[in-house]
Amino acid sequence: MASDKTYWKGIGELENPELAQKLQANEFPQDIPVDEFLTEQESNSTSTTRRDFLKFLGFSTAAATLAACEAPVVESIPYVVAPDKLVPGIASYYASTYDDGYDYASLLVKTREGRPIKVDVNPDADYKGDVNARVHASVLNLYDATRVQAPHKNGEETSWSTLDKDVVKALNNAQASGKRIVVLTSSVNSPSAKKAIQTLTDKYETASHVSVDAFSYSQALDASEAVFGTRRFPFFDLSKADRVVSIGADFLGQWIGQGVSKAYAERRKPGKDMSRHIQIEANMSLTGSNADVRYRVKPSEYGAVLAGIYNRVATAAGEPTINAPKSSIDSKLDDIAKDLIAKRGKSLVLCGTNDINNWMLSYAINELLGNFGTTISTTTFSNLRNGNDADFTQLLADMKGGKVGVLIMAQTNPVYNNAKGAEFAEALSKVDCTVACSDKQDETASKATYLCPTPHALESWGDSEPFDGHYSFMQPTIRPLFDTRQWQHCMLHWAGETTDYASFVKSNWTDWNMNVDKVLHDGYHTKSIEPTSDVTASAVDKLASVKVGKPSQGMEVVLYEKTGIGVGNLSNNPWLQELPDPISRVSWDNYITMSAVQANDMGLRNKTRSNGAIDGNYVTVVAGDVRIENVPVLIQPGQANDTIGLAVGYGRDGVGLAGDGVGVNAFPLSVNGAHNVADVKIETQDGWHPFACVQLHHTMMGRRIVQEVTLDTFLNEPATTENHRGWNERTQFETLGEKMTADKANLWTDFDHETGHFWNMSIDLNMCTGCGACVIACHAENNVPVVGKEEIRMSRDMHWLRIDRYYSSNMTKARAEEEGVGAIKMYAEMEVPSESPEVVFQPIMCQHCNHAPCETVCPVAATVHSAEGLNHMAYNRCIGTRYCANNCPYKVRRFNWFRYSENPEAFGVNYALNDDLGKMVLNPDVTVRARGVMEKCSFCIQRIQLGKLEAKKDGRKVNDGDVQTACMQACDTGAIQFGDVNDPESKVAELKKDKRMYHLLEDVGTKPSVFYQTKVRNKNA
Amino acid sequence: MHYESPVREPLITGDKSYHDITVDVAKPIETNAPRSWWIALSISLIAFLWGVGCILYTIGTGIGTWGLNRTVNWAWDITNFVWWVGIGHAGTLISAVLLLFRQKWRMSINRSAEAMTIFAVVQAALFPGIHMGRIWLAYFVFPIPNQFGSLWVNFNSPLLWDVFAISTYFSVSLVFWYVGLIPDFAMLRDRAIRPVQKHIYSILSFGWGGKAKHWQRFEEVSLVLAGLATPLVLSVHTIVSMDFATSVIPGWHTTIFPPYFVAGAIFSGFAMVQTLLIIMRKMFKMEDYITIQHIEMMNIIIMVTGSIVGIAYITELFMAWYSGVEYEQYAFLNRATGPYWWAYWSMMTCNVFSPQFMWFKKLRTSIMFTFIISIVVNIGMWFERFVIIVTSLHRDYLPSSWTMFSPSFVDIGIFIGTIGFFFVLFLLYARSFPVIAQAELKTILKSSGENYKKLQEQDHGKH
Repeated sequence: MASDKTYWKGIGELENPELAQKLQANEFPQDIPVDEFLTEQESNSTSTTRRDFLKFLGFSTAAATLAACEAPVVESIPYVVAPDKLVPGIASYYASTYDDGYDYASLLVKTREGRPIKVDVNPDADYKGDVNARVHASVLNLYDATRVQAPHKNGEETSWSTLDKDVVKALNNAQASGKRIVVLTSSVNSPSAKKAIQTLTDKYETASHVSVDAFSYSQALDASEAVFGTRRFPFFDLSKADRVVSIGADFLGQWIGQGVSKAYAERRKPGKDMSRHIQIEANMSLTGSNADVRYRVKPSEYGAVLAGIYNRVATAAGEPTINAPKSSIDSKLDDIAKDLIAKRGKSLVLCGTNDINNWMLSYAINELLGNFGTTISTTTFSNLRNGNDADFTQLLADMKGGKVGVLIMAQTNPVYNNAKGAEFAEALSKVDCTVACSDKQDETASKATYLCPTPHALESWGDSEPFDGHYSFMQPTIRPLFDTRQWQHCMLHWAGETTDYASFVKSNWTDWNMNVDKVLHDGYHTKSIEPTSDVTASAVDKLASVKVGKPSQGMEVVLYEKTGIGVGNLSNNPWLQELPDPISRVSWDNYITMSAVQANDMGLRNKTRSNGAIDGNYVTVVAGDVRIENVPVLIQPGQANDTIGLAVGYGRDGVGLAGDGVGVNAFPLSVNGAHNVADVKIETQDGWHPFACVQLHHTMMGRRIVQEVTLDTFLNEPATTENHRGWNERTQFETLGEKMTADKANLWTDFDHETGHFWNMSIDLNMCTGCGACVIACHAENNVPVVGKEEIRMSRDMHWLRIDRYYSSNMTKARAEEEGVGAIKMYAEMEVPSESPEVVFQPIMCQHCNHAPCETVCPVAATVHSAEGLNHMAYNRCIGTRYCANNCPYKVRRFNWFRYSENPEAFGVNYALNDDLGKMVLNPDVTVRARGVMEKCSFCIQRIQLGKLEAKKDGRKVNDGDVQTACMQACDTGAIQFGDVNDPESKVAELKKDKRMYHLLEDVGTKPSVFYQTKVRNKNA
Repeated sequence: MHYESPVREPLITGDKSYHDITVDVAKPIETNAPRSWWIALSISLIAFLWGVGCILYTIGTGIGTWGLNRTVNWAWDITNFVWWVGIGHAGTLISAVLLLFRQKWRMSINRSAEAMTIFAVVQAALFPGIHMGRIWLAYFVFPIPNQFGSLWVNFNSPLLWDVFAISTYFSVSLVFWYVGLIPDFAMLRDRAIRPVQKHIYSILSFGWGGKAKHWQRFEEVSLVLAGLATPLVLSVHTIVSMDFATSVIPGWHTTIFPPYFVAGAIFSGFAMVQTLLIIMRKMFKMEDYITIQHIEMMNIIIMVTGSIVGIAYITELFMAWYSGVEYEQYAFLNRATGPYWWAYWSMMTCNVFSPQFMWFKKLRTSIMFTFIISIVVNIGMWFERFVIIVTSLHRDYLPSSWTMFSPSFVDIGIFIGTIGFFFVLFLLYARSFPVIAQAELKTILKSSGENYKKLQEQDHGKH
């Protein structure tokens, strides 16, 4: 039923309906002077109305709110179409190759989200190359923003089309006018690259290819040509050598490009088969420091030494001897020769200089010893070095004579790294057209008319044939970051080919019966080579031409390549610059190495500043017309008297913040590619040079740090005996009752390390050559900061993994006791290394103590023990009291004294942490540490986690080898082994039971998870 | 009333009445400051501000502004910390231990000694804070409930014990000091003419009325606090020493540290009291209250504790030899003959040899000589901590990591800053607080005052 009731809103509506109605119609009961307001002059004169004002207010409030909420704009562009198989957080691996004409290695490249972040050795490749520190560090150079980013003409940016047009025109002009066209490169081992050059030289009649190496082995190659009929080095097989005698060859450091450390290490396993290595050299080299016996000899004596060995071997073999002066170590040569003869066919005499006479002699000795065909291959030859200095000299003469029309330079930098660099620079102006294919505006490229930027190896296509029949393949793992073009592509393009280099190499591979997909996947390919039977290699019958000069009387300079910098190709790499030299432990420098006696005679000094940093005197080195000024002197034990060492690869210009101006350029001394120069004068100069040396104390002070025994002791005596007289006994302590060892005395409750994993690491001091590859691998894996020279001088290096180097001293505890020397004098003398010391290396990282001194003292429990035997570091919890670092007996903890990342003003030199492009190299699995936080080796916990997760996903146990730390993976010689000792099948469990095993500073009671294997030296009994 | 033998030297010299004491103690507060005070305050303030600047620079840029390195992770920071904590020891010892032993001579020096303690502990407490890499997370060291789950502090860490030890010591010392100040503040309140001053002192004196009940409670509280503070004298430096003793570093890992540190702390504390009081008694003309006898007494304590410290040093050397541990042996050999030999021998000269002069009465009653020795001892004790910290760390187990330490200007600036801060506080205190516990002192006036002693003697003569 409908109702027409009326509802009042209030009593007023009932009583006075008219008023109510009126009020309802009028919103504001009081009269508002709207008209008055609107007609007001003042408000009319402004253009902002109330509504506008409110709009503005609303808009600005909203805008301010939004601006306040918005996250900073990050430069990231999401994938529109995500690439196949790219899973965020999962790394992809590609097989590739590193080859810059100097270093060669077969690689496995780790990429994350499309960017390569780490390179490692390709474990499957049959010839792996020399996977040294430089190769490991090369990934950082990819993200170097100071690389040339676009083609240049006369220093101005230009386009590729203009450049191509100009170059082709110049090539045609040169051909028309009959002038030479020269492609100048360093050693090229890539068959496709050779073919590309061939394409160009075929197209232009006057074109030819010249190779020149920075650190020349041209004369050595000439010797090889004379002996083997091919101007290439034979394959030296150190794994078959029972005796290795090296005269000046730093084969564990840098030599002829063939990485031999793995083969060498195979024979350094202590036992009856262990090789004996005798090194005769002037500089204390990495190889010399690993030798069983080392003799110091001037390089001008190398010939006499080789001839001495030859004559002794020849006499024994009934061959005629040659005339030769006596050497200073003649008395030792009888034993050396006897030792070699006893191991006929299983020995190796290696030669290190660039001197045809020395090489001929070394080949002749090996021939007489029956080593041809055994330790020296007569069928497999290396393509890694093929520079020819004679060709280069001819080229230089032609350039000066105006006979060169076009000079194309690729992966070479003769202005910098050739003794005739200055002459060459001048001669460049007489060439009609100069083209430099380079990744930097470097010494040569800046003087060339055209600069063709080249990509990094990780952006490139290519192949390599380091040894006959051994192929390796290069594929890009990232799109080229800059507007670059491979130099091989330029060759093809300028020869008029339309194909790009990528298609070119692939078609080559197909032509050579290789499956493109398979070889790219594998990264290597091996073809069996038919041995050419008609080659009869012989050196002995060619000895007539060999002249052995008398040793010089004056000072000699010996040039060498450092492990970190090499010839300076990767100079702008802060990791490599900060990598301490394995011997001198100095980073960010090159310098003259000189023996203490010599320095004393010349009044040259190294002094220690109040903060421990070392300063050295300056000298000028004068060799003929060459003067090298402001070279600092570093006192180097083991340096032969009357010799000085000086590393090449420094004194760069135009490569970037990290490389420019570090050290001096020593290449001008390398006249005619010589590695050593006689009759050098040294003039002392004023001033002190600051050295950045990470190790300021060089001897072990009689402590049991690196344990060492001779092979005889190792073979014939027990490691432990009941009366505690073995060669690997634990330290004993007197107690109230009986004598005790540290493992018996224990204040703490032990962790349960029986169940689950127990990660341990074994470091074999016999296998470790000290090369430093692991240090760089650790940098790359764990985003370890670089701090720069000044901070290194403050003893603030950040290396999580360091390789300590100790020299032996003349004073020992036994000697002190024998001679009744008091403790004060004994320790003072122990601090001084011997003039010709024995050297040991010891890689040290966090020892992951199971009774960790650091863990107990942290007030906030930021560093704690894991159930798997790891010593964790929780960066977020760390407040930076540094108590842990003080209490660490191994001093492996590293403190972030400053903000090392995102702080380009102070640490811009380290673009890996301070540059937007550089930061692409960072491993996303590892936190970049903040200022004020302690950090240290984590045993690559991110890899452990990954290994466990993968195993869990597969529903299986973690297998031995699933988890490898970065250092272990980088270690060529297998000195570092990591794994779960609770897995009885694991390698590391077996190594823990080895009789050589010992824990470092065991008597402190820290129970480390890292253990070492005693070093064994195979000395003459 | 307490009777004191006439044989004993009077503790208050001159013809003093109760009123004279009141006037003498109140004088520095009620008169205008002399020029020398303003000069001293300005210098201290500048040093303090320089220190503040250095601290801010450290916090803004990083600990890298100091001279530390990967091997020597502590140097001047913890040296200064221990040095200041050590200095802070004399105050509590004088006021608490000597109170329990009823040593009346403490009464004219305990106020300033305690003030010194508190100001020194303030300086000391700065260092554990600013030496942290991330001081903004310093609250992590307190066992407070947090949002991190079951995350707790590490009770094994001596550094954590330090936090508790220092904060307990500081609070007990502060309360003890304040309780003693109450009747003196009341005296100042009663004498104050200006209303603001009167108001402030009346707040500070907590409505003290001087009733018998007030005095009784005052005595009781003093005794209880003295009882509480006495173990702290031993515990604080014991715990500070454990920062080193519980470690594994040769030269640190030593069980002798707790008693050795406590003796050293008292040693340095008394030296600092001497330094301050010799200046103060001269400036404020308080020679009648702080007499040669007081100075002599303290010199004897310095001599005794200095000898204890000396024995400790020699014991350390003996133990290093006797232990047969080569690292330990080398650590001590290195101290005496290594690159920091000068620090070791400075320490030995200042701490072991110089106090031995106090065997001679003539020397130990010479104000000038005492002043010089007090400075020498303070320098020596600073070097002791430097030697323990830096020379042990710079050459520990692995020679590959051996290096040296050299302070940066920031290290030096912060140290100077704390000295400035300390003197700013002390100078302000000297002009606003009664520097002598006059209420207590008055209790011995009739037994130990020179004039009353003479009267007593005369009385004796009559009988």
